[in-house]
Amino acid sequence: MSGKKDVLHVGIDLGTSRSAITGSNGVHHVVASYVGWPLDMVAKKVVKKSILFGAEALENRPMLDLHRPLERGLIKQGSAKDEEAVHELLKHLISLAGKKDGQSVHAVVGVPAEALRVSRLHLRGAVKGIADALLIVSEPFAVAFGMDALLHTMIIDIGAGTTDFCVMNGRYPTEDDQRTLTHAGDSIDEQLMALVKTKYPDGRFSIHMVREWKEKNSFVGNAPGPVIVRFPVKGKPADVEITAEMKKACESVVGPIAETMLDLLSKVEPEYQEKVQRNVVLAGGGSQMPGLAAELEKTLAELGGGRVRAVEDPVFAGSNGGLAIALDAPEGDWEPLSA
Amino acid sequence: MATARRLRQSILKDAIRENVDVIERRLPRGLRRSDRWRRLLFRASVFVVVPLALFLSINALTTGRGERTDVLVVSSPSAAPAAPASVINPPNGLEPSLFHLEVRSVVIDPGHGGADPGATASGVAEKDVTLDVARRLRELLVAQKVAVSLTREGDTTLSLRDRVVLANSKKADLFVSIHVNSLPAVKEKRGVETYFLGTTTDPHVQRLALDENRASGYTMADFRRLLEGVLADSRQGESRKFAEAVQGGLVTSLRPVVPRLEDRGVRSAPFVVLIATEMPGILAEVSTVSNEDEARHLGDPGYRQQIARALSNGILAYAESRNHPPSKRS
Repeated sequence: MSGKKDVLHVGIDLGTSRSAITGSNGVHHVVASYVGWPLDMVAKKVVKKSILFGAEALENRPMLDLHRPLERGLIKQGSAKDEEAVHELLKHLISLAGKKDGQSVHAVVGVPAEALRVSRLHLRGAVKGIADALLIVSEPFAVAFGMDALLHTMIIDIGAGTTDFCVMNGRYPTEDDQRTLTHAGDSIDEQLMALVKTKYPDGRFSIHMVREWKEKNSFVGNAPGPVIVRFPVKGKPADVEITAEMKKACESVVGPIAETMLDLLSKVEPEYQEKVQRNVVLAGGGSQMPGLAAELEKTLAELGGGRVRAVEDPVFAGSNGGLAIALDAPEGDWEPLSA
Repeated sequence: MATARRLRQSILKDAIRENVDVIERRLPRGLRRSDRWRRLLFRASVFVVVPLALFLSINALTTGRGERTDVLVVSSPSAAPAAPASVINPPNGLEPSLFHLEVRSVVIDPGHGGADPGATASGVAEKDVTLDVARRLRELLVAQKVAVSLTREGDTTLSLRDRVVLANSKKADLFVSIHVNSLPAVKEKRGVETYFLGTTTDPHVQRLALDENRASGYTMADFRRLLEGVLADSRQGESRKFAEAVQGGLVTSLRPVVPRLEDRGVRSAPFVVLIATEMPGILAEVSTVSNEDEARHLGDPGYRQQIARALSNGILAYAESRNHPPSKRS
């Protein structure tokens, strides 16, 4: 207890669509992963800030140089502004956690598995000066740790940019225990946009509107009810039914997810395969899609059955897991991890 | 309860260790040699290999015996390829491996970019695949203490000459140009092939060289020196060995994912980026985008990671072979 009193431990879920933070002081926040800078002096006068984050940045996007620093599960590199956006987003999240003066920050950042493979060094650079020590882990691992599901469990983390799979075998996952697909939230949005555009060529809507429709109405299997959305058609706002398009777009990810789940299961040691089959956990925003768990259970029926459940709190499951890791890490182990 | 606690602690220790390895740019644990083994190797190199190398080199230089097969080219630092005036022919038996030559730096060249998309099919552009694979490869090599430079960091247009200038300015140990093949006439084909510098009479390779040498940035005045460079470097044994290691890495690592992957082998071709760069270099065609199934695979980051890992395995295997003497000499 005494060793940890001057340290604020935080778990951060750095996601393509949303980023969340959970602090050891009980604070938790979530922001959309958008960072925007006013385009000119006039814009700066209107928005009254030199940098905007999350929903506020999205609302004011015509006046901003808007960046979504993660795309398809990767941190965008090569563009100085995107790299700065990662730094600013992490800085903003830590500021939201309510760090006191003189307090050190020990952060565990969970990132899409792809970003962990490709951008690990870059991430360490991005956190320089905003946390005293940093541990980077893959998002599904953070979720597993937070749920204490470290043995015979498969985590399927359906994010915006990627769907990450991770089998927990009682050891820190290796490359062989993990898979990544780009069939995820963003690919559903793109498909839904194309389908609605084909059906209503005179309709006008943005990808942000499509994303909102999906977040409110996504489903797999039988529709819980008609999906009706509102957008201008031939310049006139109209209520439009898009149930079939929503179903088709959402179900486009089911096949690849089921296939990858089966492939990973086939790699589990035979004596543990059934245990893992009965312990499949869906995490991330996509985990809440009605009908998805049941559809994946149908696939597992081919192997003699299994159980698929979704995490209770998809928004904070990753950051809570990150905090659990931060609190479990012995104080002495943070020293070589200084940022 | 105590067992669960121990399990958490043990997994957490591995997570921390992996992070520390990245910070200290150490090899991942599974690939690291034990200190004892390292000490033994060091002693062996001091007491056996170095005296043996010196003896062999003095012997070969004074008697002048043996064929001269391996050729290392030392060219001028200018962007245009050098005339073959300063060719070093190591005497027979004087393998570079005897000197424990380390590979400390690699220049990776993601093919095409910007206004030049390269081969495109099924919505996949060669320039995007090559950049993504190059970035992944950089992470893998940096994690193994190899310094890496990319000729382009983003979606930018670069002439081949620009790439060469950049590679030569870095004075790297190796040069790897990443490309994706397209064989629209035989869409069922999907394979990997690796090129080193040389001449060719194969119409497929000539066509490929024509495509890949587009926007070279060289003028007619450079033509003679380019030709001389090809002829001189056609004997460049190191690039061939390097190409063999990379092709081996690609086939071994990708076959488990794509069982029907065709091993199209190691070939020589007059690619401009290989003529003008000053270090052993290869051009790897890591995939065939004209095959629909392969194009779909290329959209999957997991597959692109496999390609990067395959290239990394080949590069490290070559580096290992240059840093360790052959176990037996005939």
